Amino acid sequence: MSRPLLTSRDWFGKVSAAAVLGFTLTLALTCTFATLVSTDADVFSAQRQLAMWLASPIWCAILGLCFLFRSSARAWAWLALANLLAWAIYAAARLVLG
Amino acid sequence: MRTDIVKTYKDVHSWVGIIAGLALFVAFYAGAITMFAEPLNRWASGPTRIAAPPSLDHTPELIDKVLRARPDARAAYTVHFDTGPDQPARLSWTTGTRRAPGPTFLAAQTPDGVLQVVRQDPSPVSELVDVLHQQVGLPFSRAVAMPIMGVISLLYAVAIISGIICLLPSLTKDLFALRFGKNVKRMWLDLHNLLGLFSLPFHIIMAITAVIFAFHDQIYDVQGAVNQVGTATVRRRPPPPPGPPRPPAYDAVRDTLSPVDVQRRIAVQAPGFALRSITYRYDAKQGAHGDITGVDPRYGMRAPTYGRAEIDTRTGAMTEANYMPGRQGPWFAAVTSFFTLHFGSFGGAPVRWSYFLLGLAGAFMFYSGNLLWIESRRRKERKAGAVTQSRATRILASLTVGVPLGCIAGISLTIAAAKWLPVGRADLAAWHSAIYYLVFVAAVIWALLRGAARSGSALLWAAAGATTAIPLTTILSPVLAHGWSHPGASRLVDLVAVVGAAGFATMARAARRRAMAGPRDSVWADPSLATT
Repeated sequence: MSRPLLTSRDWFGKVSAAAVLGFTLTLALTCTFATLVSTDADVFSAQRQLAMWLASPIWCAILGLCFLFRSSARAWAWLALANLLAWAIYAAARLVLG
Repeated sequence: MRTDIVKTYKDVHSWVGIIAGLALFVAFYAGAITMFAEPLNRWASGPTRIAAPPSLDHTPELIDKVLRARPDARAAYTVHFDTGPDQPARLSWTTGTRRAPGPTFLAAQTPDGVLQVVRQDPSPVSELVDVLHQQVGLPFSRAVAMPIMGVISLLYAVAIISGIICLLPSLTKDLFALRFGKNVKRMWLDLHNLLGLFSLPFHIIMAITAVIFAFHDQIYDVQGAVNQVGTATVRRRPPPPPGPPRPPAYDAVRDTLSPVDVQRRIAVQAPGFALRSITYRYDAKQGAHGDITGVDPRYGMRAPTYGRAEIDTRTGAMTEANYMPGRQGPWFAAVTSFFTLHFGSFGGAPVRWSYFLLGLAGAFMFYSGNLLWIESRRRKERKAGAVTQSRATRILASLTVGVPLGCIAGISLTIAAAKWLPVGRADLAAWHSAIYYLVFVAAVIWALLRGAARSGSALLWAAAGATTAIPLTTILSPVLAHGWSHPGASRLVDLVAVVGAAGFATMARAARRRAMAGPRDSVWADPSLATT
């Protein structure tokens, strides 16, 4: 059985998944980064500034590559799974590092 | 690569391109000009009545006179190392608060030693070009325009990724091919691909940084909120009392190091850093302190034209160097790299010129992208049996001509107007803005009414004419006894305008040729001009 061909037809579902779940995934990843590298609680420390900047390349990459999902449903499902994983890592990082 | 993936990304690329392309043209064209905001500022600044600035050695005398006579200068005043038409005084201070700045005053001494204070009226024209760049030409308030700009930047990022995916399969075959021949679409596509690929790093930087410039507050807020989960709530600092604080006493702000002494101490601490200004500050909490700005082309700079550091104004010691070129720690250097790569504020003049050309090339790439879209629609529609262009294609073709050329002509004319509008008017910024949008809207309406072909060459001539007005205003200023002509880097503005105008004139002739002799069913064909 061959895989169904990729089309641009169901773009809206994929883009909305990338915009919403892609953003929360970005948030989990950048917040994990900030937690791991921050040395103080300063909101505008260089580490937290860099964590803010990193949100852009990550979110842009997700938005650009979301069309590779075979369907909207798969886009939402995979990104939801990635979110769970990333937020679990974030929670673990916070628990370990206080 | 699988052909269905390439096909999908071709669709994505053409749609995000067509939505964002024209806004990005404005952002890139205006952005290229902001590379030379400083020479432009000098060009546009009128002569002032103020006396010539004292030498740096004699500046302490002026400082002392100002501090005695003007309490409003005591909390923060700035000594400028480079003076010229755009910064005519050695000393200046801005009144009001940081959030609500009042007027800026300039101070000098007449030859017989009398203190002279005038209000600074900077030309708002380079600021207008910068705002056009930041808000992709949208005439809205910042709060409305910036989120729209952010969405356009996200589309731009998607366009870059999809463009690479489309190009990958034929990369080795098409890379250096520039097929200038009968097939005009092929030529435009080759040019579009070549520009896109070779300025790819530049475009990646611009997309990533522009998204942040639009959304940094929101991202900080949500990241901060996530960080707050599960921690004790921090008490917010109480807001500062409204209005400017009471000015410090004269005795509190005297006895700071002279500008020359600060310069000497900085030269020891940071060799190679050319000082541009020192701001002497005083507040009850920190006492006397200050900050310096300056240039070191060996490193990236945090601001578009300078880096900065904080100093102790009584000892000249650097107290904080997080944004000081070459003296930052690795984390701050990493953050600064985003700014400096966007601003082109590293490496000095060669990088500025490269960014200028990359910006213009980027603007041209968006224009060529629109042309390709229109051209492919023509082929599809012709295959489907249509003889004439559909309405949507005609409107898009008109916008593709009207928006870029309206932007070019509008910017040129509003720059030229800097030497015609009366200096010192409070509503000068509104005038410059009105001139720009008037020309822009007129060009778009003209293009929509007349169609792409007929308006194309006319609007290119208009752009050439408006751009010629820049050097013409300078050359004619002595004859007309109106306006002014500054020597130095300001001449560069006139020179670049001459080259630009010649370029637009050449394109205008080419557009007319195409309207007469190109394919008859093209949106670029003008039936009334056809020779056959």
